[in-house]
Formats: sequence, C-alpha cells, structure tokens
Amino acid sequence: MAYLSRRSVLRGSTALAATRLLAAPHIANAAATTATVWFAQGFVQDEDVALHKAVDDYEKASGNKIELSIIPFAPLRQKIVSAITSGVVPDMMTSTPNEVLQLFAWQDKWVDVGDVVETQKAEFSETALQAAQAYNSVTKKRGVYGVPLRAAVVPCHIWRPLVEKAGLRIEDLPKTWDAYFDFFKKVQDNLRKQGERKVYGLGFQVTANGVDPANLFNAFLIAHGGQDIVTKDGKLHLDDPKVRQAAIKAAGYLGGAYRDGYVPPSAINWNDADDNNAFHAKLMVMDVDGTLSTEVAVKEKHPEWYFKDMVTHGVPGYPNDNAGKPVPSFVGVTQGMIPKGAKNVTVAKEFLKHFIQPKVIGEFVELGLGRWLPVMPSLAKSPFWQDPKDPHLRGYVQQGLLGPTIPDYYVFNLAMAEVRSQHVWSMAMIDVAKEGLKPDAAVDKAFKRNEEIFAKYKA
Amino acid sequence: MNGTSAVDVSRPALRRRALSRSLRGSLKGGEYTWAVAFVVPYVAVFLAFVAYPVVYGLWMGSDASLYRELFADPIYQSSVVNTALYLALGVNVKMFLALLLSGFFMRPGWWMKVLLLIFVLPWAVPQISTFISIHWMLNGEWGFLNNVLYTLFHVEGPHWLNNRWTALGAVIVSHIWKWTPFWTLILLAGRMAIPLEIRDTARVDGATGLRGFVHITFPLLANLYLICTLLSTIFLLGDFNAVTFVSGGGPANQTHVLATLGIRDAFEIANPRLGVAAVMSALPMVIPLVIILMRKLRTSEVQV
Repeated sequence: MAYLSRRSVLRGSTALAATRLLAAPHIANAAATTATVWFAQGFVQDEDVALHKAVDDYEKASGNKIELSIIPFAPLRQKIVSAITSGVVPDMMTSTPNEVLQLFAWQDKWVDVGDVVETQKAEFSETALQAAQAYNSVTKKRGVYGVPLRAAVVPCHIWRPLVEKAGLRIEDLPKTWDAYFDFFKKVQDNLRKQGERKVYGLGFQVTANGVDPANLFNAFLIAHGGQDIVTKDGKLHLDDPKVRQAAIKAAGYLGGAYRDGYVPPSAINWNDADDNNAFHAKLMVMDVDGTLSTEVAVKEKHPEWYFKDMVTHGVPGYPNDNAGKPVPSFVGVTQGMIPKGAKNVTVAKEFLKHFIQPKVIGEFVELGLGRWLPVMPSLAKSPFWQDPKDPHLRGYVQQGLLGPTIPDYYVFNLAMAEVRSQHVWSMAMIDVAKEGLKPDAAVDKAFKRNEEIFAKYKA
Repeated sequence: MNGTSAVDVSRPALRRRALSRSLRGSLKGGEYTWAVAFVVPYVAVFLAFVAYPVVYGLWMGSDASLYRELFADPIYQSSVVNTALYLALGVNVKMFLALLLSGFFMRPGWWMKVLLLIFVLPWAVPQISTFISIHWMLNGEWGFLNNVLYTLFHVEGPHWLNNRWTALGAVIVSHIWKWTPFWTLILLAGRMAIPLEIRDTARVDGATGLRGFVHITFPLLANLYLICTLLSTIFLLGDFNAVTFVSGGGPANQTHVLATLGIRDAFEIANPRLGVAAVMSALPMVIPLVIILMRKLRTSEVQV
C-alpha cells in the first residue's frame, strides 16, 4: 500500500491547480456570454411560454445565453431575500414582490439601470418611470434601479349569472363608490331569500396574508379622498383630516362588510390565490383583485365563463368616488433589476434593453393572454388590447394604462413597503371585522404603527 | 546563567514534540498521514455544515436592537404564548397517548399486527399533503367537517380556522395525530426490551394490570420516556409544517409559533436578521433541554 506523504499531497494539489488554470479561459469565455435570470412564474402557462419566446429570441439575436429560472411567486420572494443577504446573486431578477426594488435600493444593493431605461424613456408611462426609481440611503439620493417590464391594476370581477339570479342586472350597477359596493349586498340578500346559503356578495380580502389586502385598502382609501397619505416628496400626512377620514371610511366599510356577513368568513385566512379560487367556486358575486388572473385562468377551459359570465369592471365600470369623480387606480409595476455582485452586468443590461423594445415587450404581455398590462401607452392601441370581441381587455388597459393612475406609495417612501408587509391596514380592517373596534379606534392604532415604521426610514 | 538559557531555548522544541506525541498516539509514520486523510473530510463537512451555519446564525442574531424590535412586536408576544402551549400540550398529550397505546399494542394476536399497521399510516404518509388536507377539511364554508355536520344534524359548524384558539387547537391535534404513531413504536420497542423473566416474576408476586405498570413497566421505561419527551420537545420547537399548512399562522397572525414567525420576519418582512433573532430567542429553553438530554443519555446508556 502506498503511503501518502507531504510531498505527494503537494504534487497532487499542484497538478490540480494547473489543470484549473488551463481550463479557466474557456470557462471565463462561456461566463462572459451567459447571464442568469430569475423570473416569477405565471398564473397561466401562456405567461411562461411568452417569457421563453422572448428569451429565445434574444439568444438568437445576440448569441448570448440566458440561464432562465422560472420560480413561483412566494419561493422567489424567499430566494431574492436570501440571495441579497448572502451576496450569491443572479445577473437579473424581477421584483417579487414589487417593493423589493425600493427595499434593497435603500441598502444600495442594485446596479443603476438608468442607461437601460433611457433607451425607451419616451415610450414608458409616467407611472412606470416613477416606479422604477428608489431612494438609496448610502448614496443619499434617488436612482433608477428598475426597468419596467409589465404592470397591473386592480379591477372588479363580477359573476353576471349570480347578479341576474338575484333578480338584478349588471347594467343597473350604480356609478358611485359606496352605492356600487352596496349593490352586491343587495345581491346577496336576494340570493339568501332564494335559499343560497353559501354565496357572498363581496370578495374582500380582509386578511393579513399576501399583497391583495393592501391593494384593496388603498383602492378604498383613494376613493374616499385619502390619496395624499404619502406625497411625492415621501412625506407622511396622517395629520391631514381628509386622510384620517378616508382611512376611517375604508377600514369601516371593508371591516364592516365582513362583520355583517357580506364577505366569505374564510377570507380572513386567504392568501393571494385564494380569492381567485373562491371566485371560480362561485363563493362570492364579486372580487376586487389585481391583474386579469381570474379571467385568463379559465379562458381555455371555460370559454363560456370568460366570454359570457364574467364581467370585468375596469374603465368603464370601475366606480367613481362618492362625489362622482373618477378615482385614480393604483398601478403595480414589475421591474427587472440587476443586483450588485452580478457576474455579468453587461449581458443582463443587453437582455433588458432587448426585452423593453416595444415590439418585444408588447408581444410578451399579449402572448401571456393579457393578464399583465404593457408599460407603454402606445401598446394599448394594438388590435389585441382593442379587440371588440374580448369583454375584458379594453376596460382593463383603459383603467391601468390610459386612465388616471398612480404608483404605490412605497415608491415615494420605503416605509410604506414595510407598512404593507407588516399588514398594518389589514389589521385595521380585521380589528373592525372581528375584534369589535370602532373604525376610528382601529385607524388610530394603524396610524401609530405607521408612525413607528416611518421613524425607521428617515432619509 | 548560560545553562538556564540552553533550557529555555530547547523548551518550544520539547513542547512541540510532546504535542506531536499526544496527537499521534500509537500511530507511526504513514499510518498517521492516513489517519489525518480520513479525518479531514469529516472535519471539513462539520465545519461547513455544522459549525459555519451555527456561528453565522449567532452572528446574524447578535445585535441587541433586533431583540428590542422583536419584543415590541405584538405578534412575537402571542407567538411565545402559542409556542409554550404547542409544546406543553403537543408533547405531553402525544407522549402520554403513545405510552398507553404502546401497552395496547403489546397484546398478542395477528389482528393486533394489522391494527398496528393501520395505526402507523398517519406517520408514514407525507406530512405536508396531510396537513393541507386538514386545512381544507376545516374550511368553514365548504370543508368536509362542516358539511358532515350540516348533512347529518343540520348544524352550521364553527369556522374552525377563524378563531385563534380553535385554529391553534387544530394545529396541536394535527401534530398529535401525525406523530403519536412514531413515538408509540419507540415506546413499544422499549416495552418489548423488558426481559420476560422480570414480568413473569412480577406476575407471580401479584403485580398485574395497573400495579404491574406502576411498579414494573413504568420504572423500567421512565428513562426512555423522558428522553423521548425531551427529543420531541426539541423537534417540536423547530416544527414549521403543522402551523404553516394547517392554520397558516392565521387568523391575522394569531397562531404563529417562533419557528414560523422567524420565517415570516426573514422573508415576508425581508429582514433575515430579525427572523434569526425570533428563532434564537428560544435558545434559553433549547440549551437546558439539550444539556439534560445529554446527561440522561449518559446515565441511561446501560438501561432500557
């Protein structure tokens, strides 16, 4: 038996190192043309097919290679946090959820991609451009850290047959906010009289899970005049009586509807996909939910639902405020970001520049059945979005791209991202719904928590 | 003076030689090199997968301000209460049932073996899918349980997962259902290891039934029972699945335990250090448990 000696170990190690050095240029060349990309999985397969096509087209045009990982939303959220924390990062990732852009920009974790956005700046909507920016607490200034890829707005989704079964008509829906939602309470009351035990009027996400409840609360807050809770300068305005009144009305209406039995009781435990599933199961007459995921999920399997039974209220249809004025819609923008420490920033930037060409990005959202909106107003005029045979797309694109829109508040102040993730507004709704708190007491509690969180993010 | 200097100079060399002797033991020449070669992979794996994560975790959760933030979080306070209840009820009810059932399964007969096979099924099936099934069964609107109640008795069942205490109860019952078979098998093996002569002698002396259990079986099983209880407590403290998939931490974050709160803080709040701190706050309880367990293992190594 041969003995290992110090010299033999040294000889072996030297040989191994030499082999590695000889192979290194080849490995380096491959790395120079390869970028790793993480993208959130679609709700329907068509979205992933659309993404693969965009990636394949880029690879053919450039000769570069994209190592694409399509990951479900919640695991991707965890992967992003883990990657940024550990420093082992891909070359590009999508904002999952959107506020990770602002969150990690604060910590100086992203590469500035202003040069990428600049290539299509004239095409992007104002809201998309605002959402691409974030404050960096290390450089003490705002920068462009995201490249807008797609957007989403929160329309209302309604089952026409359930409204008609209650002896009412969609066309009779009031145009103003409170009356619009009260209408569905009447639908439920009528259905109960017919012996329907388990159909609820309103699919409000009165829950402390996922991204839906914050979108819902914000829609009600804006509709009641609380739009300026955070202004573009990032300042919080809880002392504004108009904001306080709007928050009280929002928490009171949403929590009150649950308390009074107009919302499915299980809504308190819903996560983001659960309201879609409950809607498909016809547990409720209407849902207020972001994107067209509810509709596109059934388009192939139940075309009669998509084309006949489901109604999407974007614009027109989305209710005005109680004074009859149009309500701006909150738009969430999915961004592409390049983390600091990425091995191949050059290819990642080239890929993003390719991806945001109007033709490419327009085809990407259209092949994905229009669940997501384009981020360029010119794309809304395409035959796909203006198809008169499609009952959902025109209203959706009008609401989210052509109508009055604003980006989410965390774009102006990162603290609002934590208000979201801590589910501060959810707790206000639930305090009214289940804990017996008066709306003003629930809102005072939420305001206190808002102030505590904002104190952590002094620029 | 000169002589003293010569001794001083030779001391490090002497020390090195003594250290080398103590490390080598009776190994000579190439044997020592081979021994080192075999140990190095183990040490490397230990450093990479045990020492590094523990030290990294301790470092991540070392900032005192994290604990101030954690203690100020109302969800943390309710999570501590939930964890204590989960441990106290989950471990003790499960272990007590396992102790009783292990006695039941000692009975002779082929049908007992069939029954045992059926009994261990909950433990054998994948836990995530079963916990998700329980979650759906308990759904207040269209879950199996409430549908049965309505169909049979025309009673509208409660919304089990909408109330903190019924939701936490569902988590605890699910855990007990899932893990009782495993601990029953362990205690059954312990009972079977008790020599027949002892049981027969006790029977001759009139120690049958409850008396036999109190005076013979339990004293001989006591150490095993204690070790199983300690192990189960340590396992349960890190358990994530039952809470996540049965109650989801809801309603309104009221049924989180420290393990699930740590995940929430790390990934939903996107503050991994806070998440580590949430889990680390259980260390004052885990460390004494591990010490007691180690001491018990040492003292009981010649027993059942």
